[in-house]
Amino acid sequence: MTPRILAPLLGLLVATPAFAADYTVGAGSTLGFTSSFQGESFDGTFKTFEATIRYDPADLATASFDVNVDLASVVTGDADRDGALPDAEFFDVKKAPKAHFKTTAFRKEGAGVVAEGTLTLKGVTKPVTLAVTFTPAGTGATLDVTTTLKRLEFNVGTGEYADTSTIADAVKVKGSLKLVAK
Amino acid sequence: MALKSSTERWGGVAKTFHWIMALGIIGVGILGLYMTGMDRGMAKVNTFALHKSIGLTLLALALLRLAWRFVDRKPRDEAMPRWQRIAAHATHGLLYLLMLAIPLSGWLFNSARGYALQWFKQFNLPALVEKNESLGDLAITLHVAFFWILAALLVAHVGGALMHHVFERDNTLLRMLPFARLRKRPEGESSP
Repeated sequence: MTPRILAPLLGLLVATPAFAADYTVGAGSTLGFTSSFQGESFDGTFKTFEATIRYDPADLATASFDVNVDLASVVTGDADRDGALPDAEFFDVKKAPKAHFKTTAFRKEGAGVVAEGTLTLKGVTKPVTLAVTFTPAGTGATLDVTTTLKRLEFNVGTGEYADTSTIADAVKVKGSLKLVAK
Repeated sequence: MALKSSTERWGGVAKTFHWIMALGIIGVGILGLYMTGMDRGMAKVNTFALHKSIGLTLLALALLRLAWRFVDRKPRDEAMPRWQRIAAHATHGLLYLLMLAIPLSGWLFNSARGYALQWFKQFNLPALVEKNESLGDLAITLHVAFFWILAALLVAHVGGALMHHVFERDNTLLRMLPFARLRKRPEGESSP
């Protein structure tokens, strides 16, 4: 039996590696994408998402990202487009209101870090690879991730909207998270 | 058919501009009237894109046509009362003005609303202004008003040409038609 007074100290020893590893997402975090319509790029942002981040650059084996995105919270600066995106042809938020991304492994690649994971969007689950940039700042950190998805692999923009001469297939996704230590 | 106009008739270049733009203006106008009532969807998106592509083409043609007009000579006016001559030339002047003002106001509207502007899916054109809702509202009001003024002027333009052809039996219409044979002027009559 450990004396009660030692328990918190032991806990600190176990849970405190080089950096605090568990984070929540703080104010000022953004998650969005860049797509192209009629040859012109436009930006979209998800106003609502949740992310649970465990990340220690010195111990990638324990790292994990778990992100849920409220698809109906998308805004792109155009009322027509914002009205169409939640519809069945695009995100179909009635059937699947959230997109879910979960990492499966992290690895170093050159000077950077790559996170492998799976994205479930509109009922389709596919492997997705993120480029990860982690910058410690005080007790927290900023975490920047980017990837490029093909919207048609996830059936985003079906039927007549599958026409890639008007709506590009490739969608750049960019997250910039202000991490707050748990 | 000579490329340049003569004192008697319009040349091949002027005729080609006239008739291609006539078809284009009628087509783009019909698309414009039809497309705003369409249901949201790709067909609407593509119809707007076509309207914009044709409109941009007509803007470029109007500029080339004006440039050509400065190089080319003009056929002399057919014999007609002074008021008709003034009305005809005023109509032509306004038509040229609207051939520029309608596509430009459309482009301005498109820019102020932040829409993409692509020419037949080949290349994109820049926005004329930053996004600006009230300017967009003004631009589309002008775009539509200019169109209806153009439509009224076209009635006068076509009506005038047909009246001269049918009642005056002169060459006003024939000299703009491709391949038409001009009517002989009655003996003793000369144009001023």
